Amino acid sequence: MDMLAQILSSGIAVGMIYAVIAFGFQLTFATSGTLNFGQGEALMLGALVGLTCVDMLGMNYWLMIPIVCLFGMVQGGFVELIGVRPAIKIKSEFGWIMSTIALGIIFKNVAENIWGRDALPFPSPLPMEPMEFLGANILPMEILVVVGALVMMLLVEFFNRKTIYGKAVVATANDRDAAGLMGINTSLVITFSYALSSLTAAFAGVLIAPLTLTGAAMGGALGLKAFAVAIIGGLSSGMGIIVGGLILGIVETATGFYISTGYKDVPGLILLLLVLAYKPSGLFGKSAIKKV
Amino acid sequence: MNIRRHIFAVAAAAMFTTGAYAADIKLGVSGPFTGGSASMGVSMRDGVRLAAKEINAAGGVNGNKLVLVERDDEAKNERGVQIAQELINNEKVVATLGFINTGVALASQRFYQDAKIPVMNNVATGTLITKQFPNAPENYVFRNAAPDVIQAPMIAKEAVEKRGLKKVAILADSTNYGQLGREDLEKALKGYGVTPVATEKFNIGDVDMTSQLLKAKNAGADVILTYAIGPELAQIANGMAKLGWKKPIIGSWTLSMASFIDTAGKNGNGATMPETFIQQPATTPKRKVFVDTYLKEFKPKNGIIASPVSAAQGYDSVYLLAAAIKQANSTEGPKILAALQDLKTPVDGVVMTYNKPFSAADHEAIRAKDVVMGVVENGKVEFLNAEDAIVKKK
Repeated sequence: MDMLAQILSSGIAVGMIYAVIAFGFQLTFATSGTLNFGQGEALMLGALVGLTCVDMLGMNYWLMIPIVCLFGMVQGGFVELIGVRPAIKIKSEFGWIMSTIALGIIFKNVAENIWGRDALPFPSPLPMEPMEFLGANILPMEILVVVGALVMMLLVEFFNRKTIYGKAVVATANDRDAAGLMGINTSLVITFSYALSSLTAAFAGVLIAPLTLTGAAMGGALGLKAFAVAIIGGLSSGMGIIVGGLILGIVETATGFYISTGYKDVPGLILLLLVLAYKPSGLFGKSAIKKV
Repeated sequence: MNIRRHIFAVAAAAMFTTGAYAADIKLGVSGPFTGGSASMGVSMRDGVRLAAKEINAAGGVNGNKLVLVERDDEAKNERGVQIAQELINNEKVVATLGFINTGVALASQRFYQDAKIPVMNNVATGTLITKQFPNAPENYVFRNAAPDVIQAPMIAKEAVEKRGLKKVAILADSTNYGQLGREDLEKALKGYGVTPVATEKFNIGDVDMTSQLLKAKNAGADVILTYAIGPELAQIANGMAKLGWKKPIIGSWTLSMASFIDTAGKNGNGATMPETFIQQPATTPKRKVFVDTYLKEFKPKNGIIASPVSAAQGYDSVYLLAAAIKQANSTEGPKILAALQDLKTPVDGVVMTYNKPFSAADHEAIRAKDVVMGVVENGKVEFLNAEDAIVKKK
C-alpha cells in the first residue's frame, strides 16, 4: 500500500507544479482571450532571479519572494505592452501567439547569457530530509509547493471577488466592451492580468526550484505540460486547473510505475486529445458560443 | 548564435595573430557551448585552446600556425550537420575536433567522411562512432575518448565482480547516448550472466524520478547503473534520498559532470564512474602542469575544472592531430589519415603517452587499461582505487 501512497504523493506534488503554472494561462485568457506562451520562461526568469538573490546576495529565501513577485509583475507587464497590446489593437487574431512565443525565446537566450546554460541547484529553505506520511516519503518542500500554490490561487480568487480592482478584472473578463463603457480602463486591466500571471509564474518558479533544478532550459518542458493542464482543466475554471494538474501529475507517475517509464508522457497527451475532441472547453470549462 | 559565432572567430583569430607564419592550418572545433552539455563542451574547447596556444607559441606545426574555427552545435544533431557543411565548404578546415554528443557525432561525420577530412572525436563515447562507415575503404573518424564499449564492461565489473551486486537496475535517458549505452551495458552484464531486474527510461528535463526509482526498488535492485547526463543524474540521486533508499550508483563517466556533482550535493557522494583523467591528485608531472595552466588561464569556479576529462581529452586531441600533420608534412586529408594511422613518434599527452595510438583497423586511442575508476567525494572526483592515484614515473 505504501507504493500507492508514494505514487499519489509524488503525483500530487508534480501535478501542483503544473497547476500553478497553468493558473497563469487562465488569468490572461479570462481578461483578454490571449495566452502568454512564454509562461514557462516567466517561471524560469523568476527562479533565476530568486537564485541570484539567495545565492549571490545572501538573502533569506522568504525575503526574496516579494522581490521575485515584483520582478514577475514587471516582466508580465512588459510582455503585454510589447507583444500582446499591438496584436489586440490591430485585432490580429493570432499575432499574440507568435509574439509571446518570440518573447519567450528572447528571454531564454538572455537568461543563457546572464546565468549560463548549466542547471544550477537552488538552496532549499526547508530540510531536505524526507518525512514519512501514510507510508510514503514526502519532502517538506513538496508540501510547501502544494500549500504555496493553493494559497496563491486563493489569494488571487479573493482579490478578484472581493476587491473593487478585482471586480474590474472580472467585469473585463465578462464583457470587455461593456466594461469599457462603464468607465473601466480595460487595457490597463489586461496589462495588469499579464503582470499578475507572470507574478504567479515567477512565484511558482521559486517555489519549485529547490525540487527541480534551476536553469535557462527549465521553462520549456514545464510550460508545455502546464499548457496541457490548462486545456484539460479548462481555461475558464480555477478549480479545473487544480484538478487538471492533479490528474496529469498522478497519471504520469502511475503510468511510469504500472506500465512503463518509457510511456510516461503518453496517457497525459491522450487525455489532452480526448478532451479536445469531446469537451473542447475543458473538463470544468464553461462552453462559450462564438458567433461567426 | 551568429553574433556569438563571430565573437568566437575573432577571439580565436586574435589569440594567434602574433608572429609570422607561412600559412594557417584551420582546425574546426564543434561542441555544445550552450545547453545541458555545455560544461563538457566548454571544458573541451578550453583544453583545445590551451594546446593550440602552446603549439603556436612553440613555432606552430612545420612553421604554420594553428587557427581554431569554433562552432557551437548546441548538442543538436541538425546544428551539427549545418556546422559540418560550413566548416568543410566555407572554412575549408584541415580537420575537425570535438563532438560531445554521440547523436551529433553520428549525424555530422558523414560529411567529413565524404570530403576526406579527418575527425578527431575527443569526448563523445558512443561505441558506434568510429565504426559508422564499416564498408568505406578509408575511415576518417578517430577518437581519443573512452568508448562505451570500454566503459560499460568496467561498470558491470565494478558492480557484479568487485561488489557482488547481481540485482542491477539500469536507468538510462531516452537520447542516443543513453539508449546506445544501455545496450552496451546489457551486453556487458550478459557476460556475467546477469539480467537487469529493471530497465527504466526518462526524458531530458524530467522533474520527477519517483516512478523509475520505485520500479527499481520494487524489483529488489541493489545497485543503480546509469547512462544519462548531469541534471537528470542529479534527479536520480536526489530522488533516492527522498525515498530513503540507499543503494550505490555506478554509471558512465558523465557522473563526473559538474552539473551532477553540484546539484546532487551530498546525495552524489559515492557515485562511481570510469574516468580517463582526474584533476586531483595529479599522477604525472605533465598532468600537474596542465591543470595549473588551465586554472590560471580560464579560472573555473572553485578551482575545479567543470569537466576535467573533456578538457584533458580536448587538449590531447590537438597534439595528436598536430603530430599527424607534422609527420604528413601536408594538410591534405588522406595524408593526415595515413599519418594518424601510423604515428612514428609518441605523442606526450596529459591523459597518457600515445605510442602508435591508431592503426588502419583501429581508430580508438584509449584502451581499457588507460581508464580508471573515479568516485565522487564531497564535491569532487577522486580515485576509487588508491593504487591508481600513485604518481607514475613518466
